[in-house]
Amino acid sequence: MKKTFGGLLVFATMIAVLFGMLQVLNWIPSAVQEGAFRKYPSIDDVRAHLKIDPVYTPAYYPRSVQWPPALIAAQTRPYAAVLTEFSKSDDRNETILVITQTARAHPPLALKIQLTEVRETVQYPFKGRVAVLEVGVCRREEQCSRMAWDEGDFRLSLIMRSSPVELVRIAESIVAQHPGR
Amino acid sequence: MTNLSAIFNSWPGMYLVQSFLHSLIAAFIVDTALIAWRIESPVMRQRFRLMVLVLPIVSYPLYQFLSPERGSALFRLDALFDIGRWLNLELWGVVPVGVLFLLFLAFTAVIFVVQEMLPIAHHTLTPGGSSLDTTDPEPESRVTRALESLPGGKPEIFILDDEEYIMFSSTGKKPAVYLSGRLVEALTFEELRAAVAHEIGHIDRSRRPLMVVVFLLRILMFYNPIILMEFRRIVQEEEKICDDVAAELTGNRAALASALRKFYFADAGEQQHPLPNTPRLRDRIEEYSHSILIESRITRLEEPPAPAMKGSLAFIIVLVTIFSINYYLV
Repeated sequence: MKKTFGGLLVFATMIAVLFGMLQVLNWIPSAVQEGAFRKYPSIDDVRAHLKIDPVYTPAYYPRSVQWPPALIAAQTRPYAAVLTEFSKSDDRNETILVITQTARAHPPLALKIQLTEVRETVQYPFKGRVAVLEVGVCRREEQCSRMAWDEGDFRLSLIMRSSPVELVRIAESIVAQHPGR
Repeated sequence: MTNLSAIFNSWPGMYLVQSFLHSLIAAFIVDTALIAWRIESPVMRQRFRLMVLVLPIVSYPLYQFLSPERGSALFRLDALFDIGRWLNLELWGVVPVGVLFLLFLAFTAVIFVVQEMLPIAHHTLTPGGSSLDTTDPEPESRVTRALESLPGGKPEIFILDDEEYIMFSSTGKKPAVYLSGRLVEALTFEELRAAVAHEIGHIDRSRRPLMVVVFLLRILMFYNPIILMEFRRIVQEEEKICDDVAAELTGNRAALASALRKFYFADAGEQQHPLPNTPRLRDRIEEYSHSILIESRITRLEEPPAPAMKGSLAFIIVLVTIFSINYYLV
């Protein structure tokens, strides 16, 4: 028994060392090279630090979406991408809307909200663009919608735990903010 | 760069990367546990090492199944370690580390094919490759007496007409032990008994096809350098397990140690690849690591046997630790 506890102490110490090593190793890339994926306090900080221009944001938010965003994260390496997550207005812990902006021809960032089943996919023309609009369900069978289209040098993707009606209005407000792009 | 991102963001790409990362951390944790609890029993050590082989095969799909959000960018942000940060690093602003990483895995896959698959394919496809020039030992010969003096089931035994030191066993329905005439001449009766008992150990253990399953799992991870090393360590533990079987059957650890010393070192001047003259670095390294293994087996046999240890509590602690830490490594 003494050997077991003695061993446990050594083992626990080594695991603590491993934790420390992993944290340092996780930090090194961002220390030696700018542009790694990380959180930012505001959209303005993303613009200022990463020089991503424009950062697409909606002008319209439904009542169910809480402002400001719960999370803003961005990167310029290996390619430019911005992720903005919004919580439900009545539950800060529940993500309801995610907007991603990814440099074209690159894979989109993997999102917290995912369509587990797509029930309908349509080409949706709006304001001179053609978006792919998908309607389906996320986990726990709640209705979800996703909309994606090319805007300037980026591909924008919106996914929301709601009907497509609200999502389309948000998308239209993004385009209205950046006419001619 | 576009293709690289697409590779690392795809399901197979993430499996490739995370299985490597998870096996690396599992190997570290297992080695730490073996040192911390001073686990000497080769059976236990092999059991621990199997975790390094098996867990990374299932970990990524299992974690994703249990928690689909684990694959999200947000999870990566808060992860304990995100290997993507390193793979996206550009050395001198030109070469992404991800490219070097893929080359490293490709190099490992080539080693696997050349060192493990081609010899098997060659052995299988060579016509007459399995026919050996053998004779039965005389009924009153030392070989027959050595076999008869051992307890338990007796395999067939054959003498190979060969001037090298050779000994191996074949398994299956009619298991057999093969020894070269030169080796029989070199070993004393007790050493011969211990050597045959070691091969009987292999035959007995082959009835539980653990090593076949281990090898099949190892094939799945053909690209993984950690698994390449861990598989070899599992095989080394297997040799030590059979040493223990031989020691138990003969009750004479020293005889097997002496046989091993003769088998591998006494005739070193005539071995096929004596260290200093071996031209290729790879062969020299292999020869060196092989010598280290034999030395460790001899040292182990010359020491008193380690006390038996259950180690099941340590096993559970290690399993839970690996499973928990790897969840936060993406």
